[in-house]
Amino acid sequence: MPWLAMTSVALCCMLTLLVWSIMGGFLDVFRDIGRKMEGDVSIKWDTVGFAHYDDLIARLEKDPLVAGAAPVISTYGMISLPDDRSFAATIQGVDERYSKVSNYNESLWWKPTTEPAKTDELGKAFVDAKKRGVPLSQVAKERGIKTTAMDPRLDPQWSLKVAEDFTGTPIIDGRPVEVPPPGSFRPWPQMLEDGKRLMVTDPKTGLPRSAAVPGIEVGGFLTRQPGGWYKVNEFAASRRSDGKNVWSSAFLPSRSITLTVLPMDKAGRDISTRSIKLPVANEFRTGFFETDKNTVLVHLSVLQKLLKMEQGEVLESAPVNPYAVEDAGSGVERPVQARVVRIEPAKVTTVLVRAKGSVGSEVLRERCREIYREFARAHDGEVPTFEQMDGGKGISTWERRFALFIGQVEKETVTVLMILLVISLVCTALILAIFWSMVNEKTKDIGILRSVGCSRTGVAWIWLRYGAIIGVCGALLGLAGGTLIVWNINPIHDWLGQIAGISVWDPSVYYLPEIPNKVRWEKAGIVFSCAVVFSVLGALVPAVRAANMDPVRALRFE
Amino acid sequence: MDTDSEWKKSRSDEVSNVGGQVVAGNGRAAGAGGGSSVILSASNVRKTYRLGRVDVPVLHGVAITVREGEWVAILGASGSGKSTLLHILGGLDRPDGPSAEYPKCAVKFRDQNLIEMSSAQLDDYRNQTVGFVFQFYHLLPELTVLENALLPAMRKHGRVGYAVARKGLEAEAGALLASFGLGHRLKHRPAELSGGERQRTAIARALINNPHVLLADEPTGNLDQKTGEAILDAVAQTRAIGGEETGKRTRTIVMVTHDQRVAARADRVVRLVDGRVVEGVEPSSAAM
Repeated sequence: MPWLAMTSVALCCMLTLLVWSIMGGFLDVFRDIGRKMEGDVSIKWDTVGFAHYDDLIARLEKDPLVAGAAPVISTYGMISLPDDRSFAATIQGVDERYSKVSNYNESLWWKPTTEPAKTDELGKAFVDAKKRGVPLSQVAKERGIKTTAMDPRLDPQWSLKVAEDFTGTPIIDGRPVEVPPPGSFRPWPQMLEDGKRLMVTDPKTGLPRSAAVPGIEVGGFLTRQPGGWYKVNEFAASRRSDGKNVWSSAFLPSRSITLTVLPMDKAGRDISTRSIKLPVANEFRTGFFETDKNTVLVHLSVLQKLLKMEQGEVLESAPVNPYAVEDAGSGVERPVQARVVRIEPAKVTTVLVRAKGSVGSEVLRERCREIYREFARAHDGEVPTFEQMDGGKGISTWERRFALFIGQVEKETVTVLMILLVISLVCTALILAIFWSMVNEKTKDIGILRSVGCSRTGVAWIWLRYGAIIGVCGALLGLAGGTLIVWNINPIHDWLGQIAGISVWDPSVYYLPEIPNKVRWEKAGIVFSCAVVFSVLGALVPAVRAANMDPVRALRFE
Repeated sequence: MDTDSEWKKSRSDEVSNVGGQVVAGNGRAAGAGGGSSVILSASNVRKTYRLGRVDVPVLHGVAITVREGEWVAILGASGSGKSTLLHILGGLDRPDGPSAEYPKCAVKFRDQNLIEMSSAQLDDYRNQTVGFVFQFYHLLPELTVLENALLPAMRKHGRVGYAVARKGLEAEAGALLASFGLGHRLKHRPAELSGGERQRTAIARALINNPHVLLADEPTGNLDQKTGEAILDAVAQTRAIGGEETGKRTRTIVMVTHDQRVAARADRVVRLVDGRVVEGVEPSSAAM
């Protein structure tokens, strides 16, 4: 019976740790990714943006709490992929300062690596073969590896090999293969540098050219593998402009995408849609599925131009008779040249701010409010006032902007924990029933202990200690089991998906491509303490009953 | 059974001085004579049990006096209240309060009235002053023979004290058990022992704290005659154990039995009928 009680405590602990770690971990990862993507505080004036952002950034960066600030334009638009798919996406304009507030450089996916993922068996064999100086096929044969897919980033020659595949394979299944232009497949180090600059070198002219960096899930050509690496599908079926179906490269950084945005005036009316075709320099992966699926980064200057937010001249209104002026030099009549009234400074929609060291985001937000107040006063009439910005909740932290979502998840977590608390109470009742039965079974033993001089309190302590031991052992077992499951939750999930087709964690629903798999030890500590307390509580009533037992009756108990 | 017989044989010489006198019924061990002081006494003891909605009176104003070093047998039929009286004398049970018929109730160990003792004092009394031996041995099945015998010592010394004195206590208990022929059974569990061995373990447990009084409740009631005899020898043997530490004291024994032949081993027999002491008789007449 004690084993039954211990098992129930262990299962309760395991379940609680599992749910709490995953749900709480989800929030932790969500917050962490938010900070990595957008810094700690954002100062945002949507759609039309605000001017003099360089001055605001300079003011912010002077502050000792601020590690860095970066201008960003964020807008909605359409993205058209090489295979003719088009869909709405968030298009963000950033420049080199973006890496000061975010982990952008680290998030660039296509880069050289020598560390294969734990699940990438062929990748591990590849690294090993390289070390030993033997062919990959030999190591793969030795290890019985059947898969042909590995993380392409491990192979420095991958782009060259793929480029050769295209030139050497003119027709597949009777359909022609479209050979990508020279220079489409670049080596990984080049791709990383291009991604950082948001530029590629034009193979024809040799000059730098603006490029786009979409999220890794945007194209949908890659297959995410357990362990987090991506398998590249070489060919994608697409239709050429002449209506013929062809095979083309499915590796997005070897292709171009078309972005369409909708510039608006101050009143929010559209001016005219603008489109631009940009080569893809690299792809980024933040780990936040929504961003990785729907965001494309371009250089800030590109988006400023597209949205008419770059620096420009404001001309005076056209005169009544536009032909009234004779050119002083040639004597030919020409329209009146509108006079430049003022220079309209460039605008951005957002300035992202990163806190220094361990400064909390809320502390930084307060500081940013003060700085913006001074900034707005200095540029009165040219930028949104402090009241407009603050009232519209323009100065915000990631947590504040997702407060509703975070609050819902937190409430959900609390609700689930409450349900688990009820389950724990059921477990306590089970322990009570088991201990009650054990006290019954051990009635005679209690009489024996009383007959040799054990006090009532002593007898009660025996049962309470017994309850505590069951709580401690059960909790340790449960926490050990729970920790193992949490650590391996993704492989378990993948395995369940393979053998039973069960896929509970849909990244498009849960935002994160992987289930959070970290155990917070303070949570484990709380679960442990609760388990011990509940076990002792469960043993309390039987312990009191044992203590109050009449020793004579106990000795006569049959 | 064989082991019990063997043990009895091997011990016969050792116990003959004491046991021989007891069996004869006339001899008294030192201190058992009329001149020794009263160690246990009860007067006007009344006890009623409630069975469902019915009050069942068990003892009706019982009075008994036991002198130091005396072996007293309380003889009575089943249901006569002899075990209840033993439990009251041992502080395991409390008598009913005074009534009109029996206004002054007292259960005394020397000058201390057990009725006035607190629960903690009674616990100490059961632990150090008296030792119980029961008909059904009442050993803890999960513990070994040695651990069972050490139970009262664990309680006496407390957790820390026991841990400190553990080795000495274990040696003491081992020697005590060996003196009852259980030296080779120390690590065995009760289920692996014969009835006689279990009862001898129970006797060793009762003696581990060297109590003044041994209270035995039908110690041979669950054993065959031969083994029962051996156990009575063991009980007789207990009279001397610990005496060397307490001067010339001989342990007092109060034994409950319904068997007149068993009662005949005692110095004195108190007959209990329907909760009343009928007479105090010499063992020889009780056996008739």
